[in-house]
Amino acid sequence: MTHFQRYRVTPWLLMAPQLIIVGVFFFWPSLQAVEQAFYVEDAFGLSRQFAGLANFAAVLHEPDYYQALGTTVVFSLSVALGAMAIALLLAVQADRVIKGANAYKTLLIWPYAVAPAVAGVLWMFLFDPTLGLVSAGLESLGIDWNHNLDGDQALLLVILASVWKQMSYNFVFFLAGLQTIPRSLLEAAAIDGAGPWRRFWTVTFPLLSPTSFFLLVMNGVYACFETFATIDTVTGGGPAGATTTLVYKVYEDGFIGQDLGSSAAQSVLLMILVGLLTLIQFRFVERRVQY
Amino acid sequence: MRYQRPGLDIASHLLLAVGCGLFFLPVWLAFAASTHSMSELSGHVAPLWVGDTGLANYARLIEDPVNSLGTNVLKLLANSLVMALGIAVGKIAISLLAAYAIVFFRFPLRRLCFWLIFITLMLPVEVRIVPTYQVAADLHLLDSYPGLILPLIASATATFLLRQFYLTIPPELVEAARIDGAGPWRFLRDILLPLSKTNIAALFVIMFLYGWNQYLWPLLVTTDADYMTVVVSLKRLLTTGDSPVPWQDVTATAMLAMGPPVLVILLMQRYFVKGLVDSEK
Amino acid sequence: MATLQLSALEKRYPNGFTALHGIDLAVEDGELVVIVGPSGCGKSTLLRTLAGLESITAGELAINARRVNDLEPAERDIAMVFQNYALYPHMSVYDNMAYGLKNRGVAKADIRRRVNATAELLDLGALLDRRPRQLSGGQRQRVAMGRAIVREPQVFLFDEPLSNLDAKLRVQMRLEIRRLQKRLGVTAVYVTHDQTEAMTLADRLVVMNAGRVEQCGTPMALYDRPATRFVAGFIGSPAMNFLPVTVRGERLELPDGGELDLATGLDDGAELTLGVRPEHLTTLPDGAAMPASAVALDTRVELIEPLGADTLAYTRLAGLDEPVVARLDGEHAVAEGQTLRLVLTGERLHLFDAEGQRLAERRCAVDVVS
Repeated sequence: MTHFQRYRVTPWLLMAPQLIIVGVFFFWPSLQAVEQAFYVEDAFGLSRQFAGLANFAAVLHEPDYYQALGTTVVFSLSVALGAMAIALLLAVQADRVIKGANAYKTLLIWPYAVAPAVAGVLWMFLFDPTLGLVSAGLESLGIDWNHNLDGDQALLLVILASVWKQMSYNFVFFLAGLQTIPRSLLEAAAIDGAGPWRRFWTVTFPLLSPTSFFLLVMNGVYACFETFATIDTVTGGGPAGATTTLVYKVYEDGFIGQDLGSSAAQSVLLMILVGLLTLIQFRFVERRVQY
Repeated sequence: MRYQRPGLDIASHLLLAVGCGLFFLPVWLAFAASTHSMSELSGHVAPLWVGDTGLANYARLIEDPVNSLGTNVLKLLANSLVMALGIAVGKIAISLLAAYAIVFFRFPLRRLCFWLIFITLMLPVEVRIVPTYQVAADLHLLDSYPGLILPLIASATATFLLRQFYLTIPPELVEAARIDGAGPWRFLRDILLPLSKTNIAALFVIMFLYGWNQYLWPLLVTTDADYMTVVVSLKRLLTTGDSPVPWQDVTATAMLAMGPPVLVILLMQRYFVKGLVDSEK
Repeated sequence: MATLQLSALEKRYPNGFTALHGIDLAVEDGELVVIVGPSGCGKSTLLRTLAGLESITAGELAINARRVNDLEPAERDIAMVFQNYALYPHMSVYDNMAYGLKNRGVAKADIRRRVNATAELLDLGALLDRRPRQLSGGQRQRVAMGRAIVREPQVFLFDEPLSNLDAKLRVQMRLEIRRLQKRLGVTAVYVTHDQTEAMTLADRLVVMNAGRVEQCGTPMALYDRPATRFVAGFIGSPAMNFLPVTVRGERLELPDGGELDLATGLDDGAELTLGVRPEHLTTLPDGAAMPASAVALDTRVELIEPLGADTLAYTRLAGLDEPVVARLDGEHAVAEGQTLRLVLTGERLHLFDAEGQRLAERRCAVDVVS
């Protein structure tokens, strides 16, 4: 055996900091969320009553919840697919040219470091109805842009800002994935008479599918949670709830609406949703996660 | 073997150049705007080139308290730095130790500990935001640095990554060290930490960016301007009611907010890429 | 300067698997004992229990008559050379050798003196500032040896230290290990799966199989008088030929129907295994008469392997599935497909009963004759 076996206390000393922090700031609140989801609290938080599944029922009967769900799905898929498509396109080019691939990597990687809130501000400025360069361009094309009034435009704007920020993450993975594909495979395909286009779709793309799947999940999770900052900065969930995602609604109902029971029920539903997503991901990467 | 076509190469370079340019465009426009005065900006389309009030804008923001914030941007940057460093260092420290225990020791309930920690990978703080806020309030952590930092450390990403690395260390190295008279703490200090240097650097970059860019949690947990972070302050600057948005301040603050993390990622690109790609495994 | 005493040493894993079934072994001061056996026989486990890397389930382990069962590896005053060397990759050669001394609180000046002396001994003086990855395989091996030597331990433990080297270097390092061990006079236990390495290095050889000691003795004793069929097959290369034989009165019936004069004192019809080494099968020169009490094996040559000095002939004997291997003189002209008459004399034969145990002398006339 290759372990320190005789030590009984040391491993617990080593584990303690992480266990305490995870216990206090992860399990305690998570369990509280679950508990709270089954109670109704009065407006002053003075008393509360067991409500069974009433909170869940209320949430699931709320049209707003389904609107938020729909928005989340559209938003997540658009961000994931948009960021992945652009990243793949650029990564394939960077991998092809060999010369300068690293320079391009440097030039494309930095948006990852930009906070989602800052990304939101940058794009907001670009599309500002009076100042924005793009909105001015759109106006000359006869398109009236005002994301403060038009829900679809607002959603499109946060999608663009999120794609912009998330692209570099995908680029790094796609480039790394491409660089692990053995040159000899592509050379063999070339000898077999496959042109660049064919080579990409018959050799490169299938070999990238594990990376693509991983990225799809990661982008989905990103779009669900971390884009909260982008949404809050750019649209504040509006106009008329057009950019309210599930996470934004948890925040809105819990902190602004002070409806803790409903917010907790939504949290629990989200946990289940994310849990399922993660399970799918774990099942997929099972072979690589050796415990 | 040469099977690529020169024409395609030029097309590729062109595409990449356009891509890089488009990605840089929003930053450039914001930067250009940050160097103009409010009156220069109001009413026209954003300027494409830098103006001449740039230095003054930045100096004013850094030195003088901004009305809508109640403090100057330097203080905000300092808060962000404390938070980012706290999260990066704290998370790496506790993860190092926990992963060490899980990989190199055998003790009862090890499996349970493993799962307790790794289940946290599944649920980001955003999902349990309301009860986490209540816990922080109960522990009197609102408006404090520990309040900003601790709840965001409660996740296993770093533990997972380090565990993956520890598993690749040949078991004989541990045995050689034991025969050489190194106990667990000495092994950690003399062998494991030096070997983990690259991985720690990679984690540091990722965690620093994660910490610096946090939004929702610092937004909730700080009401006092003394603890506000620069990323959170942007929303305050934008919320002006009926008066026009002071875009020169917003864009300048945005530039300052993205400066440090972008610098970190560019300087430590090698580690960052490694850390990111390793985390997939 | 140390002796090593193992009494009824047992190792059982939590999952119930028993790796060592009561091992008894005494290693003399300054002796080099080689433990050899196929993979999974428990030889590495045994070495690791000696080192203190595995706990002992039952029995006793003593170094210099002091019980060390429950001591940490570092407290046993042993040093170990690992198969993959296990050098600390981030430390220089000097620091690799000095680390154990530092941990024991040896004074800086002493460390320097000892490391330098050891480096001198192993011809590592010019490499002290290098990192392990800048060294060749043979150099790494020497650093691993140096790390063990510099500690001046009571006992050296070697865990297949040469198996990562190429064949030529392996022979060279084998000699060097032997030379150093004799020169330093340190007690050593050496584990290998390579029987040539085992034979050439050992003062005494321990053959292990399935967690038990099959036989223990000098290499030549094991070669000449293997106690079990397993040892007989394991020691010697190419391996001993085994022929199933049946007792017919004072004679043994061979697979091809031939009979050999050999009194065993066993009942008629008893099934035995007759072992003969390839080098002890001879051919009959043309015209020469068959010696008395010898029997001829008429075989067909299937394959030959010329080794230069010798030629190995893989032959087929009627009634036997396994080929019979003979080591012939390199000058001997044989061709694949030809018939070959091999002579089995009563000398240097080995008889094993159905359990694989060597037949005791009094029941086996062979040993008396030879």
